[in-house]
Amino acid sequence: MRTRLLAGLAALTLAAPVLAQDLTVETATGPVQVGANPETVAVFDIAALDTLTALGVPVAGVPNPVYLSSLSEVAAQAQAVGTLFEPDFEALAVMQPDLIVVGGRSSEQLGPVSDIAPAIDMTIWGDDLPGQARARIAAYGALFGKEAEAEALTADLDAKVAEARDAVAGKGSGLILLTNGGKISVYGAGSRFGWLHGEIGLPEAVDGLDAENHGQPVSFEFLAEHDPEWLLVIDRGAAIGAEGEAATATLDNPLVAKTTAAREGQIVYLDAAPLYIAAGGAGAMMHTLDQIIAAFGASEG
Amino acid sequence: MRPFLCIAALVALVVLSLALGAASLSQDGGWLIWVSRLPRTAAALLAGAGLALAGVVVQQVVQNRLVEPSLTGTPEAAMLGLLAVTLIAPGMAVAGKMLVAAGSALAGMLGFLALADRVPRQDPMLLPIVGLVYGGILGATATWFAWSADLMQYLGTWRLGEFSGVVQGRYEWLWAVAALAALLYVVADRITILGLGETQARSLGLNYGRTRALGLIVVSMLTALVLVTVGVFPFVGLVAPNLISRWRGDNLRANLGVTALFGASLVLAADVLGRLIRYPYEIPAATVFAVFGAGVFLWLLHARPGRAHG
Repeated sequence: MRTRLLAGLAALTLAAPVLAQDLTVETATGPVQVGANPETVAVFDIAALDTLTALGVPVAGVPNPVYLSSLSEVAAQAQAVGTLFEPDFEALAVMQPDLIVVGGRSSEQLGPVSDIAPAIDMTIWGDDLPGQARARIAAYGALFGKEAEAEALTADLDAKVAEARDAVAGKGSGLILLTNGGKISVYGAGSRFGWLHGEIGLPEAVDGLDAENHGQPVSFEFLAEHDPEWLLVIDRGAAIGAEGEAATATLDNPLVAKTTAAREGQIVYLDAAPLYIAAGGAGAMMHTLDQIIAAFGASEG
Repeated sequence: MRPFLCIAALVALVVLSLALGAASLSQDGGWLIWVSRLPRTAAALLAGAGLALAGVVVQQVVQNRLVEPSLTGTPEAAMLGLLAVTLIAPGMAVAGKMLVAAGSALAGMLGFLALADRVPRQDPMLLPIVGLVYGGILGATATWFAWSADLMQYLGTWRLGEFSGVVQGRYEWLWAVAALAALLYVVADRITILGLGETQARSLGLNYGRTRALGLIVVSMLTALVLVTVGVFPFVGLVAPNLISRWRGDNLRANLGVTALFGASLVLAADVLGRLIRYPYEIPAATVFAVFGAGVFLWLLHARPGRAHG
């Protein structure tokens, strides 16, 4: 108790002089005080990198690889400072960034990187993914003095969501499916991909799927039985750059062929990396919404 | 009487497996059984039979009852081969992948035999432990390669054997297990003589090296076939031969068929259970079996001394 009190006092004394330029940012670990307008920024979360890029914030350090082709230009101009999971501490120490952003797969590294520079955990997680994505946009806007850009980006996102809502309305129910090396699992509204149901109003083909993050392993018979009108397919192998059995090959079998989705040509292969690696990134979400608008918009319903 | 009971149990399992699935049989029942249930049932039976037979052969070759392919680093070696193919020639045809996997499984097993030659034989527990460590090292190597090439999830699909992805056209390679089983039956007597050890086998006029090589090739192929089509199933090769030999004694030729059927029934039972427990979702058959198999393994270890002295 006493050591905690002492530590608290010490922190207060240390923090006091810079308090004036500090700013409170809403992060995944609660509100955190950091210096406003950091110049040199290192980012370990692809969703964060995606949103910062959309806001026009220059990023000095990025993970390698960045997985999203839309971010390859940003990555080419920045320095690699580790992977999605593991920071390269030496590179970080040399860079001496003003701020380090971790999140998702790198969130456990918040403690270790905090020893090098101020760090925040901007993980986007759980069933209200779009809500959190909007909160992050607002937080970055305040932190980097890009409030106007943040408002414009949120407005773009809202417009895209509204467009997707119109596109899927009245076109039938859908099932989110992940393929992985010849096997499949399904995801419900409460899952990590659930915002595709909740945010844009796509009815669930199968009610009551557990809200488990890793989905439910099922057989192809499960698909034949529930006969979804739309299948939204995420290829896990493609998400991580593995050249395994492609989703199209996995789903090319008599049981899937029997479903309404297959017969009507309503199997939508969503780009996996934006959904799987960069979930909650502003650009990634809009890319996925564009794909949905294109697929559902083309159907007569 | 007992063999009759076993056959009856197997038939009951097959009927249950054909009747059980996420889709209802009321519509297109025959079609559904043909494209989904029969393939799945056959895959489980063939994989189980293949793993049990591979266990029998490995145990004869190294003269140790407590060893099976997954305790000799064989599946891990096959995974290393498959990872290499995925990295170097991802587009290779399935037959090619299967051959590479079988080849690397064989290389892995030769490495284990080289180790086994140097392990003292007084304590039968030592060899499986050495195999466990050896397999662990190979597995760690595979993990390292997969990790640095971002193929961890890919590796994951082999590590846990299951049948949810099996439909018509996805398992037919497993029928090669039946061919290999027939081959084993033909050479069963020679494989039995292998189990007497090199000196004895040679004095009985057996071409020791060639017979051993044949046995190892068969085991590598069985392991690779099962690994590539459905994934790894630990303990089947250990549990099936041991329980059968405790029950019926050690006549290999007479036991071979029963052992294969027993292994097949065990794996099918695990798959049926995995389909039932969280219906209509699935639990991998390997997970179900590992719980049962680990229990039997512990029992075998416990029962071992009594048998050795008796």
